[in-house]
Amino acid sequence: MNLELTETQSQIRNTLRELIEKEVPFARVRELEASGRSDEILWRRLVEQGWLGTPFASELGGGDGGLVEAGLLVEEVMRRAAIVPVAEVLACALAVLRSAPGERANALARDVIAGEVRPVPALLEASDRFGDVEAVVTAEGRLTGEKLFVDYAEFATHHLVAAREANEIGLFLVARGAGVECEPLRAIGRTPQSRVRYQSAPAERLTRAQGLSELVQISRALAAVQIVSCMQRSLEMTVAYTSVREQFGQAIGSFQAVQHHAANMATWVTSARFLAYEALFDLEQGTASEEQVAIAKAAASEKAPEVLMLGHQLHGGQGFIEENDLYFFTLRGRDRCLAWGGHEECLELVSRTVERKQDWLRASA
Amino acid sequence: MDFSWEPEFLTFRDELAAFIREWRTPELLDEYRSNHGAVGPRIQAFQAAINEKGWSRMCWPEAYGGLGRNPLYQFMFVETMEYWGMPYGNLTYTSIAPAIMQHGSEEQKKEYLPGIFAGKIRFAIGYSEPNAGTDLAALRTRAIRVGDEWVINGQKIWTSLAEHATHLWLAARTDPDLPRHQGISLFIVPIDAKGVSIRPLIGFSGTRTNETFYDDVRIPAANLVGKLNGGWQIVMHALNHERVGLSPVSNLARLYDELVAHLAEKRPDALRDPVIRRRLAQAKVELFRQRALAVQNAFTIATGGIKPAEASMTKIHGSELRFTLSNLAMDLLGRYGALARDGGAPAPADGRFESTWRASPILRFGGGTNELQRTIIATRGLGMPR
Repeated sequence: MNLELTETQSQIRNTLRELIEKEVPFARVRELEASGRSDEILWRRLVEQGWLGTPFASELGGGDGGLVEAGLLVEEVMRRAAIVPVAEVLACALAVLRSAPGERANALARDVIAGEVRPVPALLEASDRFGDVEAVVTAEGRLTGEKLFVDYAEFATHHLVAAREANEIGLFLVARGAGVECEPLRAIGRTPQSRVRYQSAPAERLTRAQGLSELVQISRALAAVQIVSCMQRSLEMTVAYTSVREQFGQAIGSFQAVQHHAANMATWVTSARFLAYEALFDLEQGTASEEQVAIAKAAASEKAPEVLMLGHQLHGGQGFIEENDLYFFTLRGRDRCLAWGGHEECLELVSRTVERKQDWLRASA
Repeated sequence: MDFSWEPEFLTFRDELAAFIREWRTPELLDEYRSNHGAVGPRIQAFQAAINEKGWSRMCWPEAYGGLGRNPLYQFMFVETMEYWGMPYGNLTYTSIAPAIMQHGSEEQKKEYLPGIFAGKIRFAIGYSEPNAGTDLAALRTRAIRVGDEWVINGQKIWTSLAEHATHLWLAARTDPDLPRHQGISLFIVPIDAKGVSIRPLIGFSGTRTNETFYDDVRIPAANLVGKLNGGWQIVMHALNHERVGLSPVSNLARLYDELVAHLAEKRPDALRDPVIRRRLAQAKVELFRQRALAVQNAFTIATGGIKPAEASMTKIHGSELRFTLSNLAMDLLGRYGALARDGGAPAPADGRFESTWRASPILRFGGGTNELQRTIIATRGLGMPR
């Protein structure tokens, strides 16, 4: 057992943090939010410096990391509220590799690492349920259907679409272009997402049903990390602000009520962080159950809204205006709470196995 | 990062489970429940058996007769004992003996440690007073040096287990002119010393504690532990590894398992109800949170880290979850949930949900109030201004 980062992991975290702080001024993040575009400059930098290879094997041109390292990348990107689809792109490539290993999966990973292919998941339809798949691919490989809530649909080069072919569900790679029409959706998170209509779009099957499950599990665990990152930033900024803001002749951070709110925030962040990274670790080992990942997501999604609200409550007016940076994490965080299964949806999953015999010192049964 | 348990910890847990299976008779559990915290003959035998295995000295250095083990073994030990509701706990072992090892003279170690290990010496702790609880440094019980003796006058409260103790571990003021924390000393007082009296206090959860009174109690000078006026360090001292099992998840998890088992057997319709299943799912998430905090805390301690906030988080979350779970169980069981153990009708889980509910305040104010713990997180953990 080792709950500390290894030296390599620390290096990944510290180097990426430095890079992103240097490359991504919050002013640009604000501009991108307003225009609905993605951060092409940051993306180029990440590709150039090989960051996308971090969780892939060195034979593929990667850094020999795994899902935990993917989590570290995703956490750092979110610390700057950066508008790039790192989680989405990595989840796609990793899900295909893990559920349908072979030359095609390897080629996709290489293309992703090289920055030539930028796939994002397109799974949900009108019902907003992962199991409901009406989109259809014909025997000739043509996809027709509609997907909603496709994060970064327009910045992507390809969509990895959940569809049926000969009534067998799987993930299909669809190139942006003919037959693919994106319509922007605006949501609280202020990151780009779309409704996408596919009309006889050429589609290549990459996986069977397992790929869909794998993609949801990985994306769900990464989203839990993103939520933790937002809570962490809210907490850090709140501690910093209340330590310098003075009223009644003293720093407001010395008042007990303020301290106790911060203590509650810290407790929720600490436990959520453990469960999110544990889920990634266990997914990497192949021992994570759907229930475990749902619990990790639920633990983060349940308390994050309150943590984020407390951040604003303790910041007062100064934290409320968009000139200041607190709101980024509130909006991203709240949005990610709902992505990949919100609190209610994850509780529903857990409620299916309430009587399963549990080893209470581990995440597994 | 690696979240897996090394095989040796899991093997140890199997060994513990087998040991517990041997000892966990209805008679032992009965003795524990009706005599909560006290030491009946079966409990004594059980604790002697634990002592024989060395498990009561798990992390002590081998030079002191300990097993010198990694604190994660202690974590495993506490968690496994807690899951099965076993009376393994013994403050004399976990708090007093280490303090004697750390601060006592060679004579004191010789005089008390063998008796402690043999189960013949049992301490009750005399710290809190009616006007000195959370603000312990306000204590006023006075010890005055007269010739070869100390003369003690004053009063202590929450002196639990005094009725079964052979000795008291007493904090008294030896210099009222020094700043509050600096004028305190630690003494060992035989329970049968003239002038010591005990008055029971019964908590509404059925637990007993005591007030103790000290009227011109005389003890030899040799009964001072550690430095004169150096008592505060001893009071505050708790070896890191003692904090490992501070707030387990397993006793809480057991409440959950008992609730589910009860529903499955007596109320299968309720267990099929989606609303009830949703509540249980929420409870499961809370238990995973507690495990995360407890393991995080244990790991930090086991690797020599010092992060007081983690211990505080674990303590707060665990004590509040104890309330939440017992509260949920009672709510889900309706009027049955209120039935007491010997209530005349079959009480769910032997009345454990309602008795746990009644006991749940203890851990919210005891061991450092949750308010204090939150302040520790904020100031020592997050660095917020005092």
